[in-house]
Amino acid sequence: MLKISHLSKSFDKVQAVNDISLEVKQGEIFGFLGPNGAGKTTTISMIAGLLKPDSGTIEVDSMNIQRSPQRIRGIMGVVPQDMAFYEELTARENLRFWGRLQGMSGKDLEQQIQYYLNKIGLKGREDDPLKKYSGGMKRRINLIIGLLHNPRLLLLDEPTIGIDVQTKMSILESIREASQKGTTTVYTTHNLFEAEDLCDRIAIMDQGKILAVGTLEELIQIVGEKDIALIQGEFSTDQAQKIISQEKGIEVITMKHGYLAISLDASKKIPSLMKSFFNLGVSMDDISLKQPNLESVFLKLTGRELRE
Amino acid sequence: MKRVLLLTGKDFRRKWKNPVVIVGFLLIPVVFTFLFGIIFGSSEENVLPSIKVLSVDQDQSLFSRLYLSTLTQGELKDMIDLQSVPTEEKARTLLNKGKASALMIIPSEFGDKIWAGETTQVLLVKNPSEQFLPQIAEEISDTTALLFSALFQVFSEEIDQIREFSEQSEIPDQIISSLSVKIKDRIQGIEKYVFPPVISLKQITQKKDSESQNNSLTVQSYILPAISIMFLMFICNIVFEDLLREKEKGTLLRMSISPLRISEFIWSKILAAVIIGVLCSLFLVILGAVVFSIGWGRTDILLLIVLCLNILIAGFIAILYTFIRTERQAGALLSSVIVVMALLGGSMTPISSFPLFIQKISRFTINYWGLEAFKKNITGEPMGQIWPIVLGMLGAGIIFAFISSLLLRNKLKRGLYR
Ligand SMILES: Nc1ncnc2c1ncn2[C@@H]1O[C@H](COP(=O)(O)OP(=O)(O)OP(=O)(O)O)[C@@H](O)[C@H]1O
Ligand SMILES: [Mg+2]
Repeated sequence: MLKISHLSKSFDKVQAVNDISLEVKQGEIFGFLGPNGAGKTTTISMIAGLLKPDSGTIEVDSMNIQRSPQRIRGIMGVVPQDMAFYEELTARENLRFWGRLQGMSGKDLEQQIQYYLNKIGLKGREDDPLKKYSGGMKRRINLIIGLLHNPRLLLLDEPTIGIDVQTKMSILESIREASQKGTTTVYTTHNLFEAEDLCDRIAIMDQGKILAVGTLEELIQIVGEKDIALIQGEFSTDQAQKIISQEKGIEVITMKHGYLAISLDASKKIPSLMKSFFNLGVSMDDISLKQPNLESVFLKLTGRELRE
Repeated sequence: MKRVLLLTGKDFRRKWKNPVVIVGFLLIPVVFTFLFGIIFGSSEENVLPSIKVLSVDQDQSLFSRLYLSTLTQGELKDMIDLQSVPTEEKARTLLNKGKASALMIIPSEFGDKIWAGETTQVLLVKNPSEQFLPQIAEEISDTTALLFSALFQVFSEEIDQIREFSEQSEIPDQIISSLSVKIKDRIQGIEKYVFPPVISLKQITQKKDSESQNNSLTVQSYILPAISIMFLMFICNIVFEDLLREKEKGTLLRMSISPLRISEFIWSKILAAVIIGVLCSLFLVILGAVVFSIGWGRTDILLLIVLCLNILIAGFIAILYTFIRTERQAGALLSSVIVVMALLGGSMTPISSFPLFIQKISRFTINYWGLEAFKKNITGEPMGQIWPIVLGMLGAGIIFAFISSLLLRNKLKRGLYR
């Protein structure tokens, strides 16, 4: 359905997207997980045909999007990160307008509008102008404008920011539902749980690069059976280095003054590690363990925590 | 086309829901017309500066020259711009071309009849396409004719002396003007209406090529279209501002993910501008007819003028937008262009009060052509006179629209996608 090869894009000095390649199958929900500035929006924009890549190709249904943009647009639905609609018009008027623009009409359109208004809990408010909506309500409208015409390829750029948990759940459910009907979805987020929960496959992105791609299980394989320990305290890098060299089977992810992230088999190594710290007379303020999950994978790959 | 209409409908709905600015812009011409009507309604000559009057002196006697000379003395000099033309035929062609408001013909027996003490006539031919300027000319010549007859009754003795003078074949101009000044000075304070006029003023209106409605151009029917054209441009700009705003707000970005083409987006704005402009114009036209009793002339022609004028305005504003990057630039450039055009094009002061070279520049303004069209229809000029203007406006408007749709397309695409 979607095939990206060697895609790159830079803005002035920033390499926003750096040689990424991937394939997304029909009906799959594919997630881009990455921190702010990772290049998620840039990638989505290029897939949507809104941004010209510096190099590389994007194919949708084996059609090169640069060669036949008009044909591909009809099958695409995009939910931009920034809200885009007409504030003076009501929710219903907006949905009608954007639906018609995508070629929908009549009963079909009205039914679809009713369905989604119900789904996102805006029933009863549909005839208020959007400028009277709260931020979260606007986000919901922004989302369903992209879903309305049942696109075959759905591009969602962090659609759940600022939405309460309940609505978020129903939005995720809509996306799942659409995917069951065959919609291919590309979803960007910096929310680990959403990625874990929703996506069939995930690409972990940082600084324009894809660090790893796979299903949740495949990604967790990267960290193996090991846990990740984050240790904070008053120690220098030298001291930390000294302690770690005494132990076997510990892999350093990040080592800074007063901060240490390591990958290890926690049940076996933690007691002796703590002893070593104690013996050196270094005080530990905090030690936390992360089970193998997407978060630890991210940590392992980037050496940083993914902040919300 | 379906998508263009969809977008236009959307814009129309948005403006309908937020009409404050447009309504404001519509009220200004109405208020102006109302005020001008009050201020100048009774003494129309105040509105307009010197009146162009052509004179044909068929008599060439001392008295005819004296008479014409009195018309250019003192206050009258500011009001009447008298231009002597050798033959009546030539004068009438000039009048038909609209070069003057009236033509005054002094018949060949003018002097002889005065000598004989008989009533004599001055012929005043009024320009059919104008109404209130010729009226003033008429009043003035009327008054001077009265003065003149008074003169002969009061100063009959002096005139006898002048007669001897006139026996000579050639009288120098200086003598004529000094005499007329003298006469004017001495006549001041004399209640002119005490004396029955010797010269009666016979006035006829020049026959027109075809029959037509005979509406008059009143202060209101000049002011309302004049100021309205200016504000129609401001209203048009409100629609075009969205070109930039939709880009900024991301709705254009979202549209460009749909099957919509950017050129369709641009045409939808032009169409919306024309439709909103026409509706606003019709509102003003109807209001003008009902409140200010303006007789607009033939309705079918009026509608055509309104449509073509608004197409021209939309095309022109669209062209201006090809030079604009930000909304702030739009505000500054648009208002200065609109105001300067209004000044030069006669929306603020009648063009006839400008020096000749500025009058030539006036022809490059939308205001000038719009006003000409309205004026010609109001005064019932034949279609032959109005067609060229209407077609010119339409043609220029369409050309502008096409050029700008091409230029704006690239401009909107640039930097749209971040
Ligand atoms: N129009 C632009 N001009 C210059 N630099 C840009 C532009 N758009 C993005 N960038 C840069 O490209 C990099 C990637 O940005 P992008 O918006 O793709 O990140 P993101 O993963 O979507 O981040 P976020 O989670 O904050 O939305 C950033 O360093 C950003 O500063
Ligand atoms: Mg982003």
